Amino acid sequence: MESSGRSKSYPFIFLAILLPVIGLFTTGCTSKNKPASSEASITVTDFRGKEIALAKPANRVICLIESALSGIYMLNAQEYVVGVPSDVYRGSVAKRYASLDNRLANGLLPSPGNWDFISIEQIIALHPDLVILWASQTEAIANIERFDIPVYAVMIHSIEDVYKEMADFGTLLNRRVRADSLVSFTRNNLKQISNQKKEKEAVRGYFMWAQGINHTSGKNSTVNQLFEFAGIENVVDSEMEHLTVNIEKVLEWNPDIIIMWQNDKLMPEDVISHPILKNTKAAQLKQVYMLPGVFDCDLWTLKMQHAVKLVSNWAYGESFNQEEELEKLMEVLY
Amino acid sequence: MTRKKLTYLIFLLPIPVIVASLFVGPAGNSSFISFFRWFFMADETINSEMLTNILLQVRMPRILLVFITGGILAVSGAALQAIFRNPLVDPYVLGLSSGAAFGAALGLWLAVIPVQLSAFVFALAAVGLSYYMARKNKQISIVSLILAGIITNGIFTALLTIIQIMSDPFKLQSIVHWTMGNFHNANWDRLQMAILPMLAGLVILFVMRWKLNVIALGDEEAASAGLNPGRLKLWILTGATLAGSAAVAVSGIIGLYGLIVPHVVRMIFGVDNQRTLIINFLVGGTFLTLIDNISRTLAGFEIPIGVFTMLIGAPFFIWLLKKSNVGWEH
Repeated sequence: MESSGRSKSYPFIFLAILLPVIGLFTTGCTSKNKPASSEASITVTDFRGKEIALAKPANRVICLIESALSGIYMLNAQEYVVGVPSDVYRGSVAKRYASLDNRLANGLLPSPGNWDFISIEQIIALHPDLVILWASQTEAIANIERFDIPVYAVMIHSIEDVYKEMADFGTLLNRRVRADSLVSFTRNNLKQISNQKKEKEAVRGYFMWAQGINHTSGKNSTVNQLFEFAGIENVVDSEMEHLTVNIEKVLEWNPDIIIMWQNDKLMPEDVISHPILKNTKAAQLKQVYMLPGVFDCDLWTLKMQHAVKLVSNWAYGESFNQEEELEKLMEVLY
Repeated sequence: MTRKKLTYLIFLLPIPVIVASLFVGPAGNSSFISFFRWFFMADETINSEMLTNILLQVRMPRILLVFITGGILAVSGAALQAIFRNPLVDPYVLGLSSGAAFGAALGLWLAVIPVQLSAFVFALAAVGLSYYMARKNKQISIVSLILAGIITNGIFTALLTIIQIMSDPFKLQSIVHWTMGNFHNANWDRLQMAILPMLAGLVILFVMRWKLNVIALGDEEAASAGLNPGRLKLWILTGATLAGSAAVAVSGIIGLYGLIVPHVVRMIFGVDNQRTLIINFLVGGTFLTLIDNISRTLAGFEIPIGVFTMLIGAPFFIWLLKKSNVGWEH
């Protein structure tokens, strides 16, 4: 009985200690945001519509978006990068980044996160003056901004968004002339490809993401822009950016050409001999192609122009030296 | 080690674990040595602003949130196992997790409602729905309540799937990540937001803890002891749901934690809820804090804590299961 009486009082003693301690911490330790610097001389508006103000060009940048990082390297501003997404150390892009930066080749640049899994304390420890994140990562953005670290939030839905991103990076990293020149180069290239007279009737195309044969993109997507610039009509009539369609619909659409995103499990030959898809016009004409490396054809970067050129040539049967063209483009971009 | 010594250890362990965890993290410049050099030797080479920011603004709120969440999941699990008289029950049995996941997904998708608030409200709504479906002639049977929980889980999982289908790849990824359970966005605001319902739920469960022993014997036994079993169950469910919903809203879904910890405690300390509820809180909090230390330091980036609760907790649980009695034989 005695021990029972003693144990009865444990929770109350515990709660009596716990409540004031937590109360003290939660009221006393909440961080207070400092007012924004009034000396800001560089301002851009990010994809949230928020104004990002810096007193001087950023020189300690953490960029946790692979496509945006690719843009920073195009601006030759890699010396300012102090943190990268962990993607760049993995998969097919790792080799390409290693060839662009010795620090990446030797694993010396810290990677404090990827997508939603971000280590806030590692970001603070890297002492950045600019962090670049996806605009959809609202919680992480709010958490980083609590420490008065400016966050530029990105959201790419079209090539125009890529142009804006590049121009803003140019401003923030003191590389605006280079940014404008690359944007202008890309605009001209895309204009030239889309202005080429296609004598044949417009080709109708279906895009296939790596997740599977029925994962595709609708009208409101960079894939649709890829097709438009290449002079192809997207067979998908939905407005959705990414959608899963019934394979019956693919048969009904009966595309003239199928363009595949880089895929380790499925090759164009598999699609051509697929028991259902073999009945499509694209399979019968063997007009099924896979875009080469993710790095070279990233639709969220200026490298989209390479994908456009490839698709246009596949669709309209023009002669084309893929490797030579890619080499030329990379020389301009990097 | 005797049970008495183990009890002392469990009561004393949280403080050193919490203090030691303060010096565990991926930022090498915020180690104990850096702190020691700055605090005791006034070393000016240490960036004091960064050090205090990392220790007090990043690690401290996270450690406290993890500790309280771990404690709540364990206490809620133990309380629900007692009233359901079922060892397979955890805090998510009445649809709490699927309701919270749907709420969080809705918050992420619409981007107009705060994610945590939405998760909390829908977790409460899911348990409320289960309770409403199971109630018949002002009576609640345990079997119908568990069945109603399964149905609720199904309904909210279907609604979650609809949102996932409608979401763009960015939001879809965030929704999937939320369901994995993580604390990497923990901060004082989040702790402040969740602490009130968490403590309110805990107080209800602690006040009811001796009655848990009676209700665990069955409704008739509880009635013959002069208790109202229906009202008692409602209070315990309210306490467990309030605390559990707040915990899930800030942490995401940490699978099976609320099942494993109460079993481990029962195997070591027996079935007396009056005594073990506080032990559940301390063991649950301490163990989850230790696991979170691994999840935030193993790689440069964050690994969802739910991965480790299963990878570490499950083998330990199986080992203990083979070594001792589960506690339901008594």
